[in-house]
Amino acid sequence: MRETARQLLREREVGLVIGYAAGSEAYWVTPAFIKEEAQADRLVWNPFCVNSLAKYLINYHHEPYKVAVVVKGCDSRALVRLLQDNQVQREKVVVIGIPCLGVVDAKAAALKIAPGTRILGASVTDGEFLLQTESGTLSLPRGEALCAKCRYCENPTPVLADTLLAEEVAAEPAANIYAEVREVESWPREKRSAFWDGHFQRCLRCYACRNICPACTCRECVFDQTDPCWVAKAHNLSENTAFHLIRAMHVAGRCVDCGECERACPVNIPLRLLNQKVIKDIKELFGVSTPGSRLDEMPALGMFATEDPDEFN
Amino acid sequence: MSVRDFLLTREGLHSWLSRLARDYPLIAPVEEEKGVITFKQVGGPQEIVFDCAPSTLPPKEWFLPSTEELFAFSTAGGGITLQEPPGPKERVLFGLHPCDVRALLALDPVFGGTYPDPYYLGRRKATIIVALSCTKPGPYCFCPAVGGDPVVAAGADLLLTESGSSFAVKAMTSRGEEIIQRYPGHFAPDEEGRGERARQELAGQLAGMFAFLPDLRGVKEFLDGHFELPYWEEVASRCLGCGICTYTCPTCHCFDIFDQSWDGARGLRARCWDSCMFSQFTRMAGGHNPRPTQKERVRNRFLHKLKYHQDRYGLGGCVGCGRCVAKCPVNIDIRRIIGDLKELASHG
Amino acid sequence: MDNPLKPYPATIVKITDETPDVKTFQIVFDDPGVWDHFRHKPGQVAQISVFGVGEATISITSSPTRKGLLEFSVKRVGLLTGALHQLEAGSKVGIRGPLGNHFPYEEMKGSDLLFIGGGIGLAPLRALIDFVLDGENRSHYGQVEIIYGARSAADLCFKDDLFNRWPHMPGTKVYLTIDRPEEGWNGHVGFVPSYLEEISPSPRNRFAITCGPPVMIKFVLSALQKLGFPDERIITTLEMKMKCGVGKCGRCNIGSKFVCVDGPVFYLSQLKELPPEF
Ligand SMILES: Cc1cc2nc3c(=O)[nH]c(=O)nc-3n(C[C@H](O)[C@H](O)[C@H](O)COP(=O)(O)OP(=O)(O)OC[C@H]3O[C@@H](n4cnc5c(N)ncnc54)[C@H](O)[C@@H]3O)c2cc1C
Ligand code: SF4
Ligand code: SF4
Ligand code: SF4
Ligand code: SF4
Ligand code: SF4
Ligand code: FES
Repeated sequence: MRETARQLLREREVGLVIGYAAGSEAYWVTPAFIKEEAQADRLVWNPFCVNSLAKYLINYHHEPYKVAVVVKGCDSRALVRLLQDNQVQREKVVVIGIPCLGVVDAKAAALKIAPGTRILGASVTDGEFLLQTESGTLSLPRGEALCAKCRYCENPTPVLADTLLAEEVAAEPAANIYAEVREVESWPREKRSAFWDGHFQRCLRCYACRNICPACTCRECVFDQTDPCWVAKAHNLSENTAFHLIRAMHVAGRCVDCGECERACPVNIPLRLLNQKVIKDIKELFGVSTPGSRLDEMPALGMFATEDPDEFN
Repeated sequence: MSVRDFLLTREGLHSWLSRLARDYPLIAPVEEEKGVITFKQVGGPQEIVFDCAPSTLPPKEWFLPSTEELFAFSTAGGGITLQEPPGPKERVLFGLHPCDVRALLALDPVFGGTYPDPYYLGRRKATIIVALSCTKPGPYCFCPAVGGDPVVAAGADLLLTESGSSFAVKAMTSRGEEIIQRYPGHFAPDEEGRGERARQELAGQLAGMFAFLPDLRGVKEFLDGHFELPYWEEVASRCLGCGICTYTCPTCHCFDIFDQSWDGARGLRARCWDSCMFSQFTRMAGGHNPRPTQKERVRNRFLHKLKYHQDRYGLGGCVGCGRCVAKCPVNIDIRRIIGDLKELASHG
Repeated sequence: MDNPLKPYPATIVKITDETPDVKTFQIVFDDPGVWDHFRHKPGQVAQISVFGVGEATISITSSPTRKGLLEFSVKRVGLLTGALHQLEAGSKVGIRGPLGNHFPYEEMKGSDLLFIGGGIGLAPLRALIDFVLDGENRSHYGQVEIIYGARSAADLCFKDDLFNRWPHMPGTKVYLTIDRPEEGWNGHVGFVPSYLEEISPSPRNRFAITCGPPVMIKFVLSALQKLGFPDERIITTLEMKMKCGVGKCGRCNIGSKFVCVDGPVFYLSQLKELPPEF
């Protein structure tokens, strides 16, 4: 990856490479914005590269230069989404695709890896993530450590890439992808309602889930439009619920199931479950694929306004 | 001088907490959701999480609620009447770590001063604070680096320190002494200075247990002379402007004020948390924004933590709890920021 | 103020149209007892509430020497100012204040005063102008000169003061200018900073006090420096977005200073110490 970045920068193919750099703990990475060849050594790729970097492209929309971005399979769906929304122009991006064997859930890894540990290298096998540290090799069982979104990954290989940095990875059959959604659907209404109330009352309305979301790209978000507005910031169950339903509806048909909102949420609200419910319903209704997974398929809904989420409430 | 040191057995602690929960609203850390520890009113000790790593959200909510009514207004009858909500009842806040108590001390002058804020100060006055020494720092704690003390919580009314099978209790204020007197039979006087020894021993043990302690020396002086740094651009390019770091921070106090009215004749004025990381925060009518990009906003946050609060109140704006470190989705880590600034300071 | 976030109920008693988008509101407290602790000084501001809509920070444009009422001149720019403009005499509002610091009128005693205003920026200056011109205060101050400009003649605020009152006061001169020539205007045409350079007042024993749109302030400040005014005798007011007005909500800071409590009045020497973030 470093070599690819160096070459792109050296040949002035791009003015910026967006990739990953080591984070402050072994199980975190941080986005890296590399503008000079000499800086390319900062780039890393390891099983902790969970962040989706595609949305950063919007910030460089007006720059004269091209931008290269590192994408995993799921991130490539986000990129397709941004391209389809004209948030990003195809001719201004160089896509460095990484076929992915799954990434680690940092919250799970943090329980296993002592703070301050340095990672020297990492490899992935069928059953485990192997990490070389200064004090020996550490194994994280795949079952425990794998990110929820990777468990039934539909696109381990990016659906769009200018260069692929590894062998393609085939998708495993994803029959169970909506198991959790089905489980919640099977609950009686009261139980579902209590479940979501319990989660929604915790919401801080920080809007991290929105800011990180590749499908939330409105220049003026509905939640910001009127400055002194109750719905904008007030924090109570009914306003929180309103926020969550509006958010889920706004990303309906556009959410690429990247799981970033759920990862960002500081109070562990299972946002992905809500999104997946919507994705699943749309798939069943319209027979489409997960948004962003097919270049030739535009979002199923320009506008989506069914009462479905009520069923889920 | 009266005895200020006491000992409390583990069973004694539990029965005392049960009594407290009956006599007062008792607020303590609970695991609200897997991995999410917040301060909530509890029915008894069985609900409380005694673990040391700081709670997911700070106890700030109990002093500066995320949304709070300032007053209700009504224009019925041609006049205008404003009615403030009733103040809180006396309550006990249990299980604050020393950093959380220190954060309250950092907020006190913001809400005190020339224009005392009756909402915050009313809650402060109504709250008896029982702090718990840390026995093990959380993975991102760095309180000693910002002048904090993980054992002794100056500013609490009572300080509990776990020591073997019992707890050393220190009354830090006269209010703390009163509370102890109110529950005779639970607390045994500590006449041999066991508590003091336990605290010192713990301090010694903890000293080596912090994973990463950034070196703050010279950083403020450097920031005093360097407002403009290209470094902030690099940090800002990563930042999502999501505000998690400020909402989870025990010393962040920014709020917005807004009115809510259903019919124009009656309604509420309320305030709710706001964040300098949001793009709307300083945008004025007409569109002018003195902090137009994320660069200025990120800089404002770190300068507030590392310089402005110190300039204004003579107190650090960061207590080293590591919550922002734990929760930033793109790993903007204040410990690293301090380290980088230190580096810039020494290499120019 | 036992609760700095709770306004005093008040009533609008008179509304004057100043310009197409500026109105002056005369306001009295519903409880006359409020006057005992509402003792404002020239340069201070208040938060005006329209209940159900919100609040806005507005300079108190009436001098404290005018007892028993407050005046605010408000330009319609957004939600709250728009709502205020809809109100009629007799409407109820809320007033929080007085807030912020004030012009250093004690230190100015014995000096000549040069006021330089643009547009709605004359509002805070007017409180000080009337303060020094009123009654026995007049004897403590030297010459008073007022340079004021607006986009057009119609956009001049406080026309009654500008044309009928101030020019007739002893030791007082008023210089007016508008941005572009227009029919019926015989006065000066041009921007305020260049008019200032034309008039070229001496910096000797004189304070310059300026308020107006940010660009105007910027050029006026450099013109004053060119004329030889020392930074300690150049005074201006700053505008930042405000909510609480009492140093708590955190949004009006410039570096370590809160404009709401440490300002809005600053000496140029102080501005130079602040980071350029306003
Ligand atoms: C110290 C000071 C003195 C002022 N004096 C006057 C005056 O005498 N006359 C006058 O017409 N205007 C004055 N202003 C500007 C006035 O406060 C704003 O125009 C007004 O707040 C805009 O509110 P709005 O609701 O109509 O606009 P919106 O854009 O709808 O405002 C939304 C919110 O943003 C805040 N806000 C927006 N712009 C400003 C701003 N420029 N300054 C402060 N807060 C802002 C307000 O709190 C408001 O609630 C002054 C501002 C300051 C800081
Ligand atoms: S990130 Fe979580 S807490 Fe923040 S607004 Fe979204 S759901 Fe609420
Ligand atoms: S939590 Fe991180 S990404 Fe979010 S605003 Fe703070 S620094 Fe930026
Ligand atoms: S800035 Fe971060 S580490 Fe410091 S007090 Fe706030 S949340 Fe804790
Ligand atoms: S200015 Fe920013 S960092 Fe400071 S208290 Fe407010 S939100 Fe927190
Ligand atoms: S920062 Fe210090 S006081 Fe706070 S929880 Fe960590 S060790 Fe304890
Ligand atoms: S307006 Fe709230 S701090 Fe200045």
